Amino acid sequence: MKEQINKLTSECTAEIKAAATESELYAVKVKYLGKNGLISDLMKNMRDIPPEERPIIGKTVNNARGKLEELFEKRGAALHAAELEAKLASEKIDITMDKDTAVGKLHPLNAVRKRLVDFFVSMGFDVMDGPEVETDYYNFEALNVPKDHPARDMQDTFFINESILLRSQTSASQVRYMEKVKPPIKMISPGRVFRNDDDATHSPVFHQLEGLVVDKGITMCDLKGILDLFAKHFFGEDTKVRFRPSYFPFTEPSVEVDVSCSICHGKGCKICKGTGWIEILGAGIVNRKVLRGCGIDPDVYTGFAFGFGIDRIANIIHGIPHIKLLYENDMRFLKQF
Amino acid sequence: MKLPVCWLKEFAEIGNASPEQIAEALLRVGFEVEEIIYDGADIENVVVGKVIDCKPHTNSDHLHVCMVDVSSEILQIVCGAPNVQTGDIVPVALSGAKLPGGIEIKPGELRGVMSYGMLCSGKELGVDDTVIEGAEVDGLLQLPKDTPLGTNILDVLGKNEYVLDVSVTANRPDCQSIVGLAREVAASMGVKFNPPVNKYKMTPYGGEYVPTVQITSKVCSRYTGRLIKDVKIAQSPKWMRDRLRLVGVRPINNIVDITNYVLFEIGQPLHAFDIRFIDSGIIVRTAAKNEKITALDGKEYALPEDATVIADSKKPIAIAGIMGGEYSGIADDTNTVFLEAARFERKSIRVTSRKLGLRSDSSARYEKGVDYGSVDEGRERALALIYRLKAGKIVDVKSDDGVAPPPKKVIETSAAQISSIIGIDIEKPAIEKILVSLDFGLTKAKGDGIICTVPIYREDIEDFADLSEEVIRYYGYDNLKPTFLKNAACTAGGISTDEKRMGDVKNILCGKGLYEIMTYSFINEKASDMLKLPQADSRRNVLKLRNPLNEDTAVMRTQLVHSMLTTLALNQSRGNDDIRIYELGRVYMPKGGNELPEERFVLSVGLLGNNEDFYSAKDIVNSVLKYFTDGYSLVYSKQPYLHPGISADISKDGKFLGSFGEVHPTVAENYGINGKCYVGEIDITALLGFAKGDVRYKTISKFPCVNRDLAIVVDDMCKAGDIIDIVKDACGDSLEDISIFDVYKGEQIERGKKSVALSLKFRSPEKTLSDSDVQRLMLGAIDRLKAEIKAELR
Repeated sequence: MKEQINKLTSECTAEIKAAATESELYAVKVKYLGKNGLISDLMKNMRDIPPEERPIIGKTVNNARGKLEELFEKRGAALHAAELEAKLASEKIDITMDKDTAVGKLHPLNAVRKRLVDFFVSMGFDVMDGPEVETDYYNFEALNVPKDHPARDMQDTFFINESILLRSQTSASQVRYMEKVKPPIKMISPGRVFRNDDDATHSPVFHQLEGLVVDKGITMCDLKGILDLFAKHFFGEDTKVRFRPSYFPFTEPSVEVDVSCSICHGKGCKICKGTGWIEILGAGIVNRKVLRGCGIDPDVYTGFAFGFGIDRIANIIHGIPHIKLLYENDMRFLKQF
Repeated sequence: MKLPVCWLKEFAEIGNASPEQIAEALLRVGFEVEEIIYDGADIENVVVGKVIDCKPHTNSDHLHVCMVDVSSEILQIVCGAPNVQTGDIVPVALSGAKLPGGIEIKPGELRGVMSYGMLCSGKELGVDDTVIEGAEVDGLLQLPKDTPLGTNILDVLGKNEYVLDVSVTANRPDCQSIVGLAREVAASMGVKFNPPVNKYKMTPYGGEYVPTVQITSKVCSRYTGRLIKDVKIAQSPKWMRDRLRLVGVRPINNIVDITNYVLFEIGQPLHAFDIRFIDSGIIVRTAAKNEKITALDGKEYALPEDATVIADSKKPIAIAGIMGGEYSGIADDTNTVFLEAARFERKSIRVTSRKLGLRSDSSARYEKGVDYGSVDEGRERALALIYRLKAGKIVDVKSDDGVAPPPKKVIETSAAQISSIIGIDIEKPAIEKILVSLDFGLTKAKGDGIICTVPIYREDIEDFADLSEEVIRYYGYDNLKPTFLKNAACTAGGISTDEKRMGDVKNILCGKGLYEIMTYSFINEKASDMLKLPQADSRRNVLKLRNPLNEDTAVMRTQLVHSMLTTLALNQSRGNDDIRIYELGRVYMPKGGNELPEERFVLSVGLLGNNEDFYSAKDIVNSVLKYFTDGYSLVYSKQPYLHPGISADISKDGKFLGSFGEVHPTVAENYGINGKCYVGEIDITALLGFAKGDVRYKTISKFPCVNRDLAIVVDDMCKAGDIIDIVKDACGDSLEDISIFDVYKGEQIERGKKSVALSLKFRSPEKTLSDSDVQRLMLGAIDRLKAEIKAELR
């Protein structure tokens, strides 16, 4: 009997080792340890054994069963791990393939516009939206540009009729705002403007951002302060700002504002036409006549205004060589930003 | 404004300052120099030489072999000019020389003889007789015998000159002149300014015929005339011709050249009439009805009724400030000249010039504004030049009319007031020094006070703010110290709710894989035809531009579909696949009369690619609509540009919100688009009115859900949306979710029918639903489906 147990145990151990898969192993388990398995059969033969030997044999059989079960478990775990590993290995895929769930993007111009608006809003500026089809009054007359004033030659304007036009500057929003809101005023008005000008460097449609601050004791130095901050924020910490005297009918004094070229850092390059400076905006102290026209006493309040082209800022930031690219809407362009 | 450096030097003692230094000085004080032009840019390495020997070429019937002395060396040059002779003083292009037209001179063999340069004609140097005498002869340009050998030819031609192209702002008409700019340059560089000095002698009046002058027009404040007799029409001297050429004016004769010279130097337009053309007195009057004039350019002009003319007793002889009449000008045999110097309102000249479509140097100058002092200054300058050039005798007689110049403006202010808008304290002496350098008169004032008299030509100066500008532009903007709104009150800023919502819409669309586009606000009027809009469609009522760039940008858009289709077509033509784009822009709906149009925000969506279908468009449109509102309805679209069976119109509460779907094949063809594409247009302004407010929290049920599937057979035409609506209505609040997971037609299903499989999820907020609860709801739904759409269970 003992030999038989040893024989079965060693045979089973060998078969456990030989089992290559979990199901083969299961078959071996059934063969030896199943209800009608070879080991279980031994117990059934117990009655042929003398009663005094039964406890010993019983113990021996149980020991053998216990040992074998341990071996089954170990082998089972090993096979399971190996099979899982093989399965995972077989499931390996080509991770360089794509499933196209692309996310679209804002137009680069509007993305820059959003950044600009966020910048000024963070300083307490209100955002004003004015009509794009405007009256001659708001676009010109209220800004100290009467009919047939030579300053009208500065801008080629699209007209609908004698008194209605496509606004040529976002400054048109200034007066509308000041008619409604009294100082202290901090506002910007970004938007679309139109000029009858179409060549390599001009688009008949472009975008400006107008800024206006009116309060007691506002000076040119305050204007410089804000524009310094603006330039550093958008063109880099080492950017310098330069004021040059200029003329706009609605500001006095008026300045053109240049920033040091962020490409060549003032050494002179193609972008800055070799001057080291890039002209980015016009600004000045709000003309006293304009304030008075809006019912604001120029002897009590002063203010500054500035206006720049959003298209130009976007083109500088992204190195876009010409403005027309912005309005072509070629997908290869739009996907870049 | 063209500013030749040689001309500038006559009035500003700038020494040997380089053109760049002058440009920098002008930029500092507000005059941008757009370009520094070198007049001799196209000629290099050409010097004066003397032909010391000239022999015929042994191997040619017309060439000569010359030995030429150019002072530094003697060169052998083969020359083909017919007029070459020993002793000639001629221009010599040395080896490596550059000539106009990009020609370069290199040593080379000509029929076996080496030639080390080229002797030049006037034509080869790009000059004519107005530049130098003899330039137009057939052959070499023969220079005066006393011209030093080796001299740079540019010096001989008067082309070794720099011209600054200065941009003058509209507030400074006084700087539309050499003298005006010279004053600024001198003040900016801190050097002496020498105003023009006019000296001449007059011939006593001997009773010659001289027209009287009478002004009846309001736009002419002053008109002065002078008589020049015994005029000798001749070429003007080289220095004058050179200067005129540098400012872009072709020299004609001494009298005409003087009027042009003064126009540029002083900024005063003048007109010289031949006295033979004037019938008795001159009247400056408004044009008569239907009056016509043939101008110097030979064209006849019908004068607008608000035009001003210079007339004699019979006819108009000039369009005031713009152009003289035909035959009124100077001829070779002109003997007596009537010289006009007048001041006309800029507005009037501008309007008339535009109406006639006629511009001249004179009208361009008047349009910018001529000041009261300029009439006398310009006339005196012209008379001095006539005297100096011996062009005629100035008769001591005056023909003047008009009002006296207004008194000079006096501004009373203080250093503190001038500094107040600048933001830094500038001391009184510094301010006064700047004002004096700019020709302002100063009156003594106590303490900080400043009293100054404005020069008559500075019509732009009105109050202390203008003085602040004068002071700071000379004091230097670099001296400003940046401050950060140190006196200003705090303000609350931000964007409007509408703008925030439109930003959210863009984020949703970007998340759906769409790229934003931006197109022009004006389009071709034919867009309505391309989109097949019916004649009565309100979108055909467009705002038209009076002065459009071209047909493609002639009317303000009333829809965004045209621009969207144009953009899809462009991308497809460039081989770009899988296009998903949107635009959120304005349309302009006319209100008629003189009212501004209504500007509405509209969203357009465009899809083109193999993966796109109606449902991808619907998915995008739904995401936008759901951001604003939950309930809206769809019907087959009536848009003529959409496929009638694959498109939808969206509405809510009877309000039309937009359309989307497959583009009608005819319309796609109109835009040159191959294959199918999808567009949508949504009225965002209308949707903003439906926007959800702040969302209120609803309890999340803690009870388990029960899932059930339901398969029914319905008529093929039955719409999924209707099935879902019926089930939702029948089940009420306990139905948490419902979706269709399969639609099947074919075997086992009767022809003309389809099988629809639905997945339902039940959950109650109050209790765990029992099987019988769910069964009851399911049966209720099935009954409704059977009754309303004749559904059968599968």
